[in-house]
Amino acid sequence: MDHWNHIVNTALLGTSRKMPGTQDFQGSLQEPAQLILANQDSDKEEQFLQLTALTYGFHQSGAQPILAEVAPAPECKQEVRQYCSNTAISVLKQVLEIDSIPLLQSWLEYCAFHQLLIPPAMLPTLLDKAWKYKTLRTLTATAGGHRAEWLGLFNNDWNFSKVVETPTDKWQNGATAQRVEALKELRIADPVTALSWLQETWSKEGASVKTELLAAIEPTIQANDQEWLESLTNERSKQVKDGVLRLLKKLPSSTIHQKYWQIAAEAIQPRFLLGPTVALPHIDESIFQSGIDKLSNDKKISDETYILSQIIALVHPSNWETQLDKSPGEVISFFQKHKSLQAFVPSLIQATIWFQYQPWAKELMQQSQSLYIEIIPLLPEYQQQEVCEQFFEQQSEAIVKCAGGFKEEWNLALAKKILTFAATQPYVYNQTYMNNTIHLIPVSIADTLDDIQAPDNWQTGYWSNIKSHLHRLIQVKKQVLSLSSI
Amino acid sequence: MLNLSDEQVLALAPDDSSRKSGKDLANPAKWVSKGVNEQALWGECQGSGSKPYQTQIDINDMAFKCSCPSRKFPCKHGLGLMLLYSRQSNSFTDTAPPAWVSEWLAKRAEKEEKKAVAAANPKAPDPKAQAKRLEARSQKVQDGIAELTQWLKDMVRNGIMDLPEKDQHFFENISRRMIDAQAPGLANMLKELSEISFYQEGWQSPFLEQLARIYLVTKGFENIEQLPEPLRQDLRSLIGFTVSQDELKEQPGISDSWLILGKQTTEEDRLITDRYWLYGQQTKRKALVLQFYMRNQGLPPLTLVPGTCIQAEVAFYPSAAPLRAVIRQHSTISLQPAFTGYSNWEEVMVAQTEISEVLPCYNDQVYTINNITPVFHQSQWWLQDSQMQLMPVKKGFKEIWKLLAISGGQSMPMAVIGKGTSYEPIGIWKQQEYNIL
Repeated sequence: MDHWNHIVNTALLGTSRKMPGTQDFQGSLQEPAQLILANQDSDKEEQFLQLTALTYGFHQSGAQPILAEVAPAPECKQEVRQYCSNTAISVLKQVLEIDSIPLLQSWLEYCAFHQLLIPPAMLPTLLDKAWKYKTLRTLTATAGGHRAEWLGLFNNDWNFSKVVETPTDKWQNGATAQRVEALKELRIADPVTALSWLQETWSKEGASVKTELLAAIEPTIQANDQEWLESLTNERSKQVKDGVLRLLKKLPSSTIHQKYWQIAAEAIQPRFLLGPTVALPHIDESIFQSGIDKLSNDKKISDETYILSQIIALVHPSNWETQLDKSPGEVISFFQKHKSLQAFVPSLIQATIWFQYQPWAKELMQQSQSLYIEIIPLLPEYQQQEVCEQFFEQQSEAIVKCAGGFKEEWNLALAKKILTFAATQPYVYNQTYMNNTIHLIPVSIADTLDDIQAPDNWQTGYWSNIKSHLHRLIQVKKQVLSLSSI
Repeated sequence: MLNLSDEQVLALAPDDSSRKSGKDLANPAKWVSKGVNEQALWGECQGSGSKPYQTQIDINDMAFKCSCPSRKFPCKHGLGLMLLYSRQSNSFTDTAPPAWVSEWLAKRAEKEEKKAVAAANPKAPDPKAQAKRLEARSQKVQDGIAELTQWLKDMVRNGIMDLPEKDQHFFENISRRMIDAQAPGLANMLKELSEISFYQEGWQSPFLEQLARIYLVTKGFENIEQLPEPLRQDLRSLIGFTVSQDELKEQPGISDSWLILGKQTTEEDRLITDRYWLYGQQTKRKALVLQFYMRNQGLPPLTLVPGTCIQAEVAFYPSAAPLRAVIRQHSTISLQPAFTGYSNWEEVMVAQTEISEVLPCYNDQVYTINNITPVFHQSQWWLQDSQMQLMPVKKGFKEIWKLLAISGGQSMPMAVIGKGTSYEPIGIWKQQEYNIL
């Protein structure tokens, strides 16, 4: 390589400043180099170009691979499960083409359920998708088999993929997404063991993993967790500390909740004969440090009312039932009836949502002529869709938004309402919207989809493209669903 | 009818947008009718107009026709129809071709006959006029080479250190001068020189290598009379002289079952260049079939599907190391050829040196090598052979993850394109089946 380096160095400086000498060429190159440099008929530049061509030819004729002791990576473990069928691969390709994540999730669920593997050539594309969309990670890891885990050794973005067999294995050896999933599963099946898992591992985890674990237990938070959570209030990371406080606020027996309730109970005196009074007692600074704002940002609402509203929104509704010795419906009526308490009705709704308190959710829906959209997710599945249908004309946009988060497929009537509304705003409810909600749209709508028209002429073309896309989505969805029946 | 995979169909697409639109049209709802027989695949696709577009594919010669206004080839309807067939062949129940398909097939057959007759009775050119034209052009090229040599000398005299700061005109002007001198091959070599990334560390080496190649071609042409005939042909070709079709016809044809190892397509100023890499199963010959055509101006005469096999007679351009070839006649065959090729990199290097010995300015070659494993070493990917020898993977190789996923760390037979010490994998054999990357 020295020969070539001499050529490169000379070329950089130029032959007017430097010329390679015969001493720069050894071995087989020495003699021809001497001949070139001794030729009086050619100028320096010509000589240099000849030397360059000579050295180039010499090198490319003797090019050699590099012999290095590089141990190849360990081979990927042999898969024991079967790869998915050609039909499934063909459906997968269509899912990827149409770029719908819910359909991809359904396809992966099919693979995971039937213990089938993704073919290796498709893995990089799916691992990239799973890297981008966290919800796909565990499923991709399951259907990716050993090869996905093996690829994760070379690509850090894909190291969420580990082959784990049992929930304990998943918890102990899995990637974060897999551990979170194992924890969520165990919290439902065996909350005591799940808590012991957390306690054992806690000191070994980093802040971001701790935050993810806390978020994982939020939906199943219970009184048993309180003692452990109270012990974490001095965590070093602010992010973790905030996560702990958030969970404690959800536990009616926690210290912070007790403080909130004490203030709320003291502030609102029922006085059934004279009517209730509202007066905010002295508030400890620690309450404000827990996230309660001191100043109202609305001049129609006093600072006192504002502070109390925030606190009531964080008090479990059942406390009012005991305090006032009334049923949920009666408590709500009590607040609605008295002028001094009406300002706190929205806080009661917020508290119902915060504590996912279903008895109040039902009451709030029954007692009201209008829809509290945030309450819908607390209702039973069948009722959610009924309520959406009932109030659709009142709050179409909000309902469409809320229905996008449903877990169950929309019934045909609701789907028709939503798509008819979507046709009025095709630029908002576009192909991407359809891609993201196709898991909720029933395939049976395909027969009547063409009846749904955009109301304005200028939207017709755009809506028709969306419908055509939706037809294709429905067709692919049908194919994904039919895989399970093959 | 061939069983083409999605990848093989999509490899025929002229661009990404056709690929995407073709995928959208692989939807049975879009097709009013569709059918297939041993000669053709056809369908009527409902577009935005009142009448559906009539799309037809001659599956033996892989020729497309569609009544849509698109000038792309194949159009999205052709791609969509093929994709749909590859996915749901059972839904193509019609086997009797409609009149518009039979008429087209008949016309194609008639055209082929006329071509064969024309080929049998060629018009003889005037040899005197031809020689005069050639002489005039050679003189122009010689003048151009003199100008280029002076440009090269000026550059090496002043040094190449400041080249990254030079503006585009520095290379463009001399490249244009070579076009004027009727040496388009040299113009292209200069363009490649200007395209070297001056922002990448070590740019000086590839720059000087290309400079050496240009110099070798110019000197070779100046001394062309002293060189053996095959090398003269290579030099003429590198300068930009086209090989006469008569001369090509005189070349002996090599009949073989050729595996289409890969296809590379590039486009510049609407000129599309297709590079098909072929490997002869019996002869073990490698061939490069080039095809040039302007975007939106007619159809390319040849469509080959990477990963499939054709039975063909191939004629090589005269060369010291023949590689470029034309396909005289071909038909697609159903064959899954097993791997044959070199055992390790050392053998490849020996083969490369043999080429370099007779043709110092050779271009990219295709090799098939056994037992190759991709390994990561010193922050880059390498291809390791059974003797633990390493060859770097070409920078910017996009399919490394697919290659890795298919291999699973096992060594596999592989087809690579490249020269010197940088190679790009284009396909691998897995369980005796060739997979394009």
